[in-house]
Amino acid sequence: MEASDLTGHISRRFNKDLEDLRNRVLAMGGLVESQLTLAISAIVGGDSELGLQVARDDYKVNELEVSIDEECSRILATRAPAASDLRLIVAIIKTITDLERIGDEAEKIGYLASKLAGMDRPSNSYRELKTLGTHVSHMLRDAMNAFARLDVAEAFDVFHEDELVDEEYDALTRQCITFMMEDPRSIKRVLNVTWAARSLERIGDHAKNICEYVVYMVQGRDVRHTDISKMSDIES
Amino acid sequence: MASSRQKVILGLLLFLAGGTLVGWIYERPVVGALIAALLALVWQVRQLLAFDRALRTGNFDKFRYGEGIWQRIFSRFAFERDRANRYRRENTQLLREIHKSTNAMPDGAVVLDRANQIIVCNRAAKNLAGLKRKKDRGQRVDNILRSPDLTMLLRNNDSKQSIDIASPVKDGAWLNCRVVPYGPSEKLLLLRDVTEQMTLNKMRRDFVANASHELRSPLTVIAGYLDALAEAADIPSTWAKPVRQMQEQARRMSLIVSELLELSRLEGAGKAGTDELVDVGGLLAAASHMVQGRGDMPEILVDPQSAARLRGDRGEIESVITNLLSNAVRHTPPEGKVTLTWRATTKGADLVVSDTGEGIAAEHVPRLTERFFRVDKGRARTDGGVGLGLAIVKHVLSRHDAELRVTSTVGAGSEFVCHFPAERLSVEPPIPLARAGSDP
Repeated sequence: MEASDLTGHISRRFNKDLEDLRNRVLAMGGLVESQLTLAISAIVGGDSELGLQVARDDYKVNELEVSIDEECSRILATRAPAASDLRLIVAIIKTITDLERIGDEAEKIGYLASKLAGMDRPSNSYRELKTLGTHVSHMLRDAMNAFARLDVAEAFDVFHEDELVDEEYDALTRQCITFMMEDPRSIKRVLNVTWAARSLERIGDHAKNICEYVVYMVQGRDVRHTDISKMSDIES
Repeated sequence: MASSRQKVILGLLLFLAGGTLVGWIYERPVVGALIAALLALVWQVRQLLAFDRALRTGNFDKFRYGEGIWQRIFSRFAFERDRANRYRRENTQLLREIHKSTNAMPDGAVVLDRANQIIVCNRAAKNLAGLKRKKDRGQRVDNILRSPDLTMLLRNNDSKQSIDIASPVKDGAWLNCRVVPYGPSEKLLLLRDVTEQMTLNKMRRDFVANASHELRSPLTVIAGYLDALAEAADIPSTWAKPVRQMQEQARRMSLIVSELLELSRLEGAGKAGTDELVDVGGLLAAASHMVQGRGDMPEILVDPQSAARLRGDRGEIESVITNLLSNAVRHTPPEGKVTLTWRATTKGADLVVSDTGEGIAAEHVPRLTERFFRVDKGRARTDGGVGLGLAIVKHVLSRHDAELRVTSTVGAGSEFVCHFPAERLSVEPPIPLARAGSDP
């Protein structure tokens, strides 16, 4: 019944503390995931009430970040963890920062959704944003799955997904520029779309960061700022 | 057993005594006894080695020899071993069948322990929810399915509740989750693919909304011309009555259409916000003022026992009160009495509308909130009701996490209780408003 290789300490209390901490990070991940999904459906569905709801609920994510952070400091101070436990704590401290940023980006998207809901809608009703959003929420979901299962292979998949997201973002930006050149009256609306796309792209980057922490946590290797082709060398 | 023990000891003693006797004949009794003991030891060791070899090779027939106690040990052991093997085979077979049948189940099933950790899950759970059967064993299920609603559901541990979550595997797919507790602390998480139902529901909602919308514009035109016709002076007087009736029916139809639109809006919307504080007592008083004074009416009493404010949508709560009140008034004779109560406890608050009217037969009560459901088919359409009022009430209440309880006795009257949970209440001191305060 071992949940992962975190357990196996002589002190059962310590085991429980680490397990609880991990569960809370994943609960926070779940909250952030649902915030992102709601924000995307608000912007795609033109639902200003839902968008504002997302923006209002961001405080829940922030509260979780603060309380998990406190718990991490407490464990560091009282247990002085070493080796894989220390890596776990360090990875968690970094992961929650990224999750909180993702929450902030979702909040931004929520605000933009409420703004865009009041403006004219294009005929394709933001299909590109929807595709990009779906991709990004998959990335976040896979990142959190990798974190839950301590699965390095799954984490590496997210790196590859991020390339796709970046490409999509570029295409969307180019399309937005075309729109603005064609019809300067649409600039205000299209700028908001660009901001939303930018937020989504940032969320993709944060999800990628979380995967880097997973690799660090499991293998003790730092893969930040590494070229993706070299990463696959590490992978193999 | 005692007799076999005695036999063994007696046999050994006799053998030793025999050895001593033979030694005594040769005037060496001690040597005789020793030789006899040695022979007995060699014999025993041989049996022991044979037993060991039989254990190692598993071949009890080849090495089955020996006498007395050893033979019994051999046969007993062989028997027990065969029986254990048979049981194991049967159990394995049974387990395989159970596995096969759970894997053939179309619904996902996940067995969870006390801490919501996955003990085992079937193939459908793997396909529907993306669980990994080996890797996720011992993982908490809400670490993989990270919907905050699911965490809530697991915490409540109530088999009556069920929630719909977006599938983590397929975009646009929906899973219905239900938790069934069993045993001392274990529970079963059941997952069912409800995508098709959700799509059908959405199609139905969209259809009702679109159809109502499309009906609205022609109705406006018809009603407009009818109004003009009713006021026109050069119309033969024989047409006055038909025109008036047509006007009435057109008005009724537009009421139905607007209530249908309201209903589909309520169905599509999520939970009501919690920002607005609604003064229910004040609303009750206002609603009773609106209805009173139309003549030929039952007496209406307002009894606001609490100043607690409700967190929700004011307009919707108002429509709940109006709908319940107009139903009560319609079904109560003029000499009867209708009571509106608002009371709050620590467990929540109740908005009660009770009357001393004709009452509703028990078999009709569960169907009251169905659309266009009529208890009395004959009187349908004569009393001005549309048949959507209680359906609207039900949807507004579910948007406010509340539920509707109906108790009724035929001939004595009915009681409609809207129960709101405590989380929806605010017990701050009431802000003095023009409407706050109430008539007794």
